[in-house]
Order: sequence, then structure tokens, then C-alpha cells
Amino acid sequence: MEISFTEKDLEFRDEIRSWIKHDYPKHIKEKQDKGEVLTKEEVIEFHKALAAKGWMGYNWPAEYGGTGWTSTQIYIFQKEFGLAGCPNILPFGVSMVGPVIYTFGNEEQKKRFLPDILNFNTWWCQGYSEPGSGSDLASLKTKAVREGDDYIVNGSKTWTTLAQHADWIFNLVRTETTEKRQEGISFILINMNTPGVEVEPIITIDGAHEVNAVFFTDVKVPVENLIGEEGKGWTYAKFLLAHERFGIAVVGASIRQLSKLKQLVAELDNPDLERKVKELEINLSALEMLELRLLSDLENGGHPGAESSILKIRGTEIQQRLTELFVEASGEYALIYPGPHGHLANSKPSGPDHAAKSLSKYLNFRKASIYGGSNEIQKNIISKMILGL
Amino acid sequence: MNLNFSDEQQMLRDQVQKFCESDYTFEKREEIIKSGEGFNRDFWKQYSELGWLSLPFKEDSGGLGYGPVELSILFEEFGKVLVIEPYLSTVVLSGTIIDHSSFDRRIELIEGIISGDKHLSLAYIESNQNFDHSDPKTSASNQGDNILVNGKKSLVLNGGNANHFIVMVTLDKECALVLIDKDQAGLSLNQYPTVDGQTCAELTLENVSITNEAIIAQGDEAKRLLDEALNLATLCISAESIGCMTACYLQTVEYTKSRQQFGQPISNFQVLQHRMVDMFIETEMCKSLLYKAMLECDSDEDTKAQSVSALKYQVGTAGKSVSQQAVQLHGGMGVSDEMRIGHYLKKLVAIDALFGNADYHLHKYSK
Repeated sequence: MEISFTEKDLEFRDEIRSWIKHDYPKHIKEKQDKGEVLTKEEVIEFHKALAAKGWMGYNWPAEYGGTGWTSTQIYIFQKEFGLAGCPNILPFGVSMVGPVIYTFGNEEQKKRFLPDILNFNTWWCQGYSEPGSGSDLASLKTKAVREGDDYIVNGSKTWTTLAQHADWIFNLVRTETTEKRQEGISFILINMNTPGVEVEPIITIDGAHEVNAVFFTDVKVPVENLIGEEGKGWTYAKFLLAHERFGIAVVGASIRQLSKLKQLVAELDNPDLERKVKELEINLSALEMLELRLLSDLENGGHPGAESSILKIRGTEIQQRLTELFVEASGEYALIYPGPHGHLANSKPSGPDHAAKSLSKYLNFRKASIYGGSNEIQKNIISKMILGL
Repeated sequence: MNLNFSDEQQMLRDQVQKFCESDYTFEKREEIIKSGEGFNRDFWKQYSELGWLSLPFKEDSGGLGYGPVELSILFEEFGKVLVIEPYLSTVVLSGTIIDHSSFDRRIELIEGIISGDKHLSLAYIESNQNFDHSDPKTSASNQGDNILVNGKKSLVLNGGNANHFIVMVTLDKECALVLIDKDQAGLSLNQYPTVDGQTCAELTLENVSITNEAIIAQGDEAKRLLDEALNLATLCISAESIGCMTACYLQTVEYTKSRQQFGQPISNFQVLQHRMVDMFIETEMCKSLLYKAMLECDSDEDTKAQSVSALKYQVGTAGKSVSQQAVQLHGGMGVSDEMRIGHYLKKLVAIDALFGNADYHLHKYSK
């Protein structure tokens, strides 16, 4: 039993650290650290910086232009970015549709889409959930009917993150009504500029515009935008969900948040809050170790499966708990609504500096236990796959 | 990085598991408890023959020189079937104190433990100490060539079966560990059962006369020996508690699959499924902290103590919630003493109480 990383992995870690310190766009890290919202241009800028370094495809095999890193290197990379307070790398292109394209797409599609993902020339969004299909995704109704060399798409998607900035959407659509619902689903790529695609904002309880409703009315999509086989979309969708394993626990970012919280709480003389922070610290330390256990399993020939659902559940619980304790640390100043119609639009009230952003983040992060397969769905997975219920 | 167990460690687990599954049935355990002996002497002999009683001792004392990982393996498996033999008391607490000391009788005493012939008990707890044992009221005062020991010790694990006691006393204004034989004049015992089916004793010492040669360690060395033994023992019972929690969720899964209500197995109900998932997750989180504590056993004292405190806090809180859920999901059967499941709850209560409960360790962790 041996926990330390190899010399080579430690050198790798230092390389990542040094790049973040010297070459990562500083103003973006500062803004992120203050809890301010990044503009579209800033999000593109930091992705472009990564692309220029050749790290955009951090979790891709070398043959498709990725880094070809080992699981341990990917783990270290993600953790260092979190620890340093860098914003998340958007998963929709590089971690979601990219791997589906290089695994199931044809040569033409690989040539057409992969380089733009690696250079962040295209902004992707994810067309999965629908108004009537959330956890029960296979009930989706958006229809794609073949007409000559096109599909005609009608229907709507919802909770589509950052669709307002997106160039492309990868979409699960129904191409056939089959007895087994999963068999009639296909995976197609739609350019957001196609006539008939409309995006409407959904404002979340923090007042932010992050998610959207996307409507498709007689949208003409060329048949060459179908990935893999018609009717196999469900298989690709499941592959996509299983692809991203370690990022979901966001341990690095939570460690950074915790250390900030501890600094805040140290000045408050509030033993009740101190106790909650300590409990959280122990829970986070257990999560960090669980992640390492799964990594070790993976690196030593194991195939960890549904265990990664624990990472999702515990990772998001801890993220949410952190935001909750930041709000508690604001005391009575948690009263003031910070959103775009609140004081952020006016002059700043008195009270601690972090109060407004803590409350925004607390409200915003209620999403964490809902997205990516709600935590209840994760429990269903563990129940079935691990406990055999 | 490799967090897998070595082949040798896996073999040890297989061996312990085999014994526990085939020999340590619930009925057998009940029989041992009813005998009032506190443990089963045939089993103890078997542990000796299998080499288990020599696991943590130095090779020059005749031991196998194993560390916390091997002990954790043993205790985790013991926890699954609720073994009641006094391994913790004799081998871990008393044995490692003697083994790590420069006591003259070290080799002889460790040999006695390894052969299974001798039991030792550590007497360090006094009433109203609130987990701080460094300033005992039990006194040892020089009287010519002899030392007279006076005082009372509480919760002496397996005290009724001990041949020797390691007693924490105050001698020349500093603490000391002294060895007292059970037959010594002035020593009296009151034995009673503990909630987990084991036994402990109250020890009263009235003008018990010992010599300088009975001093195992004094001052800082005595404190260090006690702290190290308690730290290791805390890790061991935490591993044991993880064994208990594992058994709790596995047996609850099996039970709910077989229990029919409303015309179907109650395991079909999602509200119960999610609770069993919670039990599983709690157990895995504890296991992760156990790994951390095992891996940090060679670190500096503070890191080591902190990771053990984090672990003990977590098993204290998780142990209660997991075993309470297990009882709840067994319904009326869960509160029947003739069912195994409630005995895990009792064991987990005992583990939380031993060597500092969850609150104590959260506090210690924060320091």
C-alpha cells in the first residue's frame, strides 16, 4: 500500500502548477476567485490559452490530437486547476461530444469537428433534458423525421447550459417510435444558426442567466450530422455519461473554497460554525481519499464502475455545504438579495464583502445535486449496480 | 501509487475471513457470552496457532513485525462477525506497550501473549477524567525498597481474565506505567459485562506493594507508550467498526430481499433502497479515512493523531446512523436479541464510547 506519486508524476504536477502560475490569464483567475461572473469573451480566452498550450484535449488519446495522458495525469491536472482557483473547463465539447465523435463518428466527422473542439473554435451545448423528460431521459419526444438527405427536427430541449453562447448543440432525438423506448433514439449535431432554432433564457433563483430553453421548429439537419447509427443514440449517451469520472467530485476546487472559509470563520469567534467547518473538512478529506482509491484501482487494472456515483453524490453535497456555510458566515447580511435586480444593480450595502457573492453562489449551486443525473438517480444506480437491489 | 493490499495481506484477510465465516457463527458467539468467561479459550489457542497473536510485535520479541494495515485487516474481519475474544486488550493495548518499552520482562511477557497462555489488561481509566489520563489519582509512593500503590481504575477491558495489569499511576509527581500481578495482596476486582458481549472490571488497589523492577516506564516515555497504544487501538476499533457497518448493509440488503410485504419483497421500495445506499456510502467514506490513517501511521505524531481522530469521529457518527438504519429496516426483527443485527448496533455504541467518542475526537482533530 503506497500513496505517493512517482517522480515523473510529481514533475508533471510541477509543470502544471508552473504553467497556471505564469501563463494562465491572471485577470480571469482573479475574477473567478472573487466569485464574479465571466463574460463570454473571457471564457473563450481561457480555453484558447489552454488550446495554445496543447492541453485542451487533456482527457483525449494522442491519436485524436489529445494529450494521451494517463488517468493519474488527468487526475493531477484537474485537481491542480481546482486548487489554483481556475474556472471549470467547459465539458460540453471536450469531455462530452468530443469523445462520442472520436469513438462513434466517421472519418469525415472526426476531421470536421475535432480540431475545432481542441482549439475552442466552436462552443458546444448539450441537448438532453426536455420539459417532460428529466431523470426519465428515455421518454424524450423531440422528433427527427428523415426527408431526403435531411432530418426535420421538431421539439424542445431545456436546462441547456450556456446555449445562448453556443455554436452547436448535440441532441438526442427520436427517429423512430419503438416498443423499447431506448431503441428509437439517435444522436445528431445541430448548428445553432440553422433556421428554426430558438433560444430563450431561463433565469435561475440566483437571478443569473445560465440555462435556457431551446426550441426546434422544422429545423433542417443534414443526414451527415448523425453520429454513428440511427437508433443507437442511447448507447452513445450512456457512454458519454460514463466518460467523465473524476472531474465530478471537484475535490481541488472544494479544498480551495474550504481554506477560504476557514480564514473567514477564524475571524468570527463562532464555535458552532467552527464545528460545522471541521466536520466538513473531515468529509472532504474522506472524499479526496475515495477518489484516490478509485484512481488506484483504475491504474492497477481495475474497472471501477458505479462507485463513481458516490463521487457525484458526495462531491456535490460538499460543494453545496460549502456554499451554505459561507452564507452562515455572513450572519444577518444573508438577508440582502444580491441578484441583477437586487443591490448588484445599485450601490453596495454595508456588511461583509463576501456576503452577496456567497448568497448568489449558494442559490446557484442548488443545481449541483440536480444536474448530471440527480443524486437520487445516482442512488438508484448504486442500488442496482452495487447492492443488487 | 497503489492502494491495493499486498498478496501477503490478502492471504491474511482470506485466512481470517475463512475462520470467521465457518467457525464464528452467531450461535457459537451467544454460547461464549453465556459461558460468562468473557471469551472462548479454544478459539484463543487457535488464534495463537494461526500466528494472529504475534502480528504487531517486533521480530526480536518473537513477533511478525506487522503494522496497522495487517491489524486493520484482522479487526475489519472480526467486526463482521462480532468476535469477542480480547485481542484489543491483550495484544493491541497491553502487548504493544510492553513491546515498545525497555521493560526487563518484555520478552517473557510477549512470549506469554503469543503462546496464548497469558492475558494482560491496561488499567488507565479513572472516573471523572473526561478522557485525559495523563494525571492519574492512583498513586505510587516509595516506602523503603518497596512502592505502595493505592487507587481505583475503571473500565479495565478483560480485567477478569488478566494475569497481569499495566496500571497508570502517579509516581514522584509524574505518571508511570507499572506491572501488577493479579494475585498481589491488596488487589481486588469487580467484573461486569459490556454492551458488546465482552467483559471489563473495576480494579481496586489498596497498599499493593511492588518494587522498582515493576516500573515499565515513567514520565514522558510512559505518556508516549500510552498514547501510541491508544492511537493504534483507536485505529483498530475503527477498522472493526467498518467491518460491522459492512455487515450491517449487506445483511440488510439480504433481509429486505427476503421479507415480503404488500405482495412483494420490501427491497423493491425506493425509500428503503436509498437508505441502504446511504449506509453503503457512509461505510465507504469511513473506509477512505481508514486508508488515510493507515497510510499516515509513519508520519509525525501530530499528523498521525489527527488522521486517527478524523477517522474515529467519522466511524462514531456513521456507525450509529448505519446500525440504527439496519435495525429500522429489519423492523421488529431488528430489536429482537436473538437476531444478529441488533448486536452490531450494540458493538457500534461500544466502539463510539471507547477511547473518546465522536465529539471528543472532533475536538481533538481541531486542535
